[in-house]
Amino acid sequence: MTDSGFTVDVDQNQYLPEDGREVSAIVTVTAGADAAGLSGPGSAGGEPGSAEIVIVDCSGSMEYPHTKIAEARAATAAAVDVVRDGVWFAVIAGTNRAQPVFPADGSMARADASSRAAARQAVAGLRAEGGTAIGQWLMLARQVFEAYPAKLRHVILLTDGKNQHESPEQLAAAVGQCEGVFSCDCRGVGTDWEVNELRTIATALLGTVDIVPDPSGLAADFAAMMESAMGKQVADVALRVWTPQKASVKFVKQVAPVVDDLTGRRTPSGPQSGDYPTGAWGPGESRDYHVGVEVTPAGVGQPETLAARVGLVAESPSGAEVLGQGKVLARWTDDEALSTKINPRVAHYTGQAELAAAIQEGLEARKQGDEETATAKLGRAVALAHQSGNEDTAKLLAKVVDVVDVETGTVRLKKQVEDADEMALDTRSTKTVRARK
Amino acid sequence: MTAGPLPVDKACPSCGAQVEDTDSFCESCGTELAPPAVSTPPPGYTAECPVCSVDPASPPAAISAEGYCESCGRKVPSGRDHSELDLGLLAGATDRGLRHLRNEDAMALAATDTPGGPVAIAVVCDGVSTSPRPDEASLAAAQAAVRALLTSVRRGEDRTEASLAAVRSAHQALARLGSGGQAPSTTYVSAVIDCDAITVCWLGDSRAYWLAAGSGAMRLSTDDSVAEEMVAAGALAEADALASPHAHVITRWLGVDFADPQPHVVRFEPPGPGVVLVCSDGLWNYRPDAAGLAELTLPAACTDPLGTATALVKFALDAGGSDNITVVLAPVPLAPLAQERPHPPLSPYGGE
Repeated sequence: MTDSGFTVDVDQNQYLPEDGREVSAIVTVTAGADAAGLSGPGSAGGEPGSAEIVIVDCSGSMEYPHTKIAEARAATAAAVDVVRDGVWFAVIAGTNRAQPVFPADGSMARADASSRAAARQAVAGLRAEGGTAIGQWLMLARQVFEAYPAKLRHVILLTDGKNQHESPEQLAAAVGQCEGVFSCDCRGVGTDWEVNELRTIATALLGTVDIVPDPSGLAADFAAMMESAMGKQVADVALRVWTPQKASVKFVKQVAPVVDDLTGRRTPSGPQSGDYPTGAWGPGESRDYHVGVEVTPAGVGQPETLAARVGLVAESPSGAEVLGQGKVLARWTDDEALSTKINPRVAHYTGQAELAAAIQEGLEARKQGDEETATAKLGRAVALAHQSGNEDTAKLLAKVVDVVDVETGTVRLKKQVEDADEMALDTRSTKTVRARK
Repeated sequence: MTAGPLPVDKACPSCGAQVEDTDSFCESCGTELAPPAVSTPPPGYTAECPVCSVDPASPPAAISAEGYCESCGRKVPSGRDHSELDLGLLAGATDRGLRHLRNEDAMALAATDTPGGPVAIAVVCDGVSTSPRPDEASLAAAQAAVRALLTSVRRGEDRTEASLAAVRSAHQALARLGSGGQAPSTTYVSAVIDCDAITVCWLGDSRAYWLAAGSGAMRLSTDDSVAEEMVAAGALAEADALASPHAHVITRWLGVDFADPQPHVVRFEPPGPGVVLVCSDGLWNYRPDAAGLAELTLPAACTDPLGTATALVKFALDAGGSDNITVVLAPVPLAPLAQERPHPPLSPYGGE
């Protein structure tokens, strides 16, 4: 591998019993130290590689408490401050409609000291009044981006409330139109927003979602998100999965740093291959994927079979370029000691995915008043978090349930739970701990 | 066999320059004269998938650089998984078997004409699986040994000395492979078959047999193995010893961790016609006794050594194929070298 390529490591048990059809592997993808080989960020003289838009919720509720809009202004200014020179950027205010704040004409500005100062000034004048129509905000961002040929397009979206002033269908349609155009990190401030709503947007737009319970935490969070966006160097990377004839992909999930099921997002890229979006990558960034393939048994003692070839591809002027590749293999054996062995990393991430699902299902049951299911699911989550050493999630769980026995996952639902704690557990349920090799 | 050959006028098949019987290479153009044949894989893989190519419903598919069928994903055989060599005087087949992931056996054959008559040379090596790179070890050893033997035979040297020198050559070849304290290792058995005698040299548990009709069949080598030592000491019967878990632990082998391996050499004068069998344990595990092997081999091997060698490989596969299998057969008396050979440039001297 060169520094600008990706390494792809596959961890699996290749051995299947005689009639075994399911091959499961953890694929670790790591970007090279200098991943700028394809599309570098904006640099003096050349076309800028990156464009950034901050969308600030300016609905009336942002005035309650008044610190919310004030902190949102400060956070937007902090994010603008870390936009690198030469990068195109803009700020949009969101209410029941969307309005360009900076530049006021709906264009984008090239970052330098004076444009950043002008943006800060414009942001200082933001007032909170009106409703919430997130779909319209996203559509304006899309329109603003369109005139600029940047490859890395990224949005930071802040809201404090539910999407009340348009239908869920309108929002879904807008998100659909923005897929593949830009990535979007979503932040909910306070506790009046909907976790599922923001998670759906962030997942579709290949970004993160998190809660900022206290508005005073916004500025640091925004600056960190923008720093991370500035670090991205390769845009629109896809995971390309090739499978043999008479085989099919059962699932493709990102499992670290967070669980994200990509199975339904396949676009065909050849007669036996499909691409799954992974968004933009920064140098040295590493993620794990769990890939499941169903294959046709070749027979005991037969030579190994290539069950899947997993590669990273990025668009380049000369077409799709393969940045790195790994092999998922299958062999059939009558030795049960070999075929029944479960790869520890596959087991770990299977547990982490179950952990995320148990939390989400447990919280949903709790909301519906089904205490029995909620207790069982959240108890299972406590045990899984403990077994896998996922301490952050264990701490969040402990704010929602009283743990009686961590090993068996025996818990009691707390009578009083802070909304912010429940939402933090929900939004961060997909965070996983990395399984070491 | 110690008398030096008389020089005879011969021409290099490549440039036409005069060469001597004792030459391994043409002094004029450097072409190797009658090179030995080795079970070296040709680079690359088979051109088509053996599974998809017989299925009319499957589209013709390419084979990837790493040897996978682009349609069904199956790893296609490399040249080493199964190869056959036919030098007329002798022939051999080697196969990966059904349980091992690669073929760590290797064979190297040569046939040449000398003033004393045709000579056939066979070397079989079985890489020690617990050592690093056993497949490279067996191939390097077999290749080095057969070249050394061929050169010695052309020079008319004593067969026992030649056999010991070939082991030293193989040992050096392994030393060149070795890396960082690791010692690639292999078993070793060679047979130099002259018109009047067979010289066998070995280390480990790859074997040579004399197969003849009636009660004449016999094993020519004795294994350097725990099982054989138990039998020799009278501690166990052969069948019980072979069934013991340590049966295949070998007590001597060829490897740089074994500085002076002291190979065995025996010289055997065949009393009449028969067949020399040189093989790895992938075959004899399933039929260790000479009489049983003779039954499987004769009389077909006398006229069709290659067909019989592949039949013996199939016999071992059908019996379970638990190890790599290598079988070399040479009918005795040796047939005179023919002018035309189906196999690569074997002997430009043949046929008088």
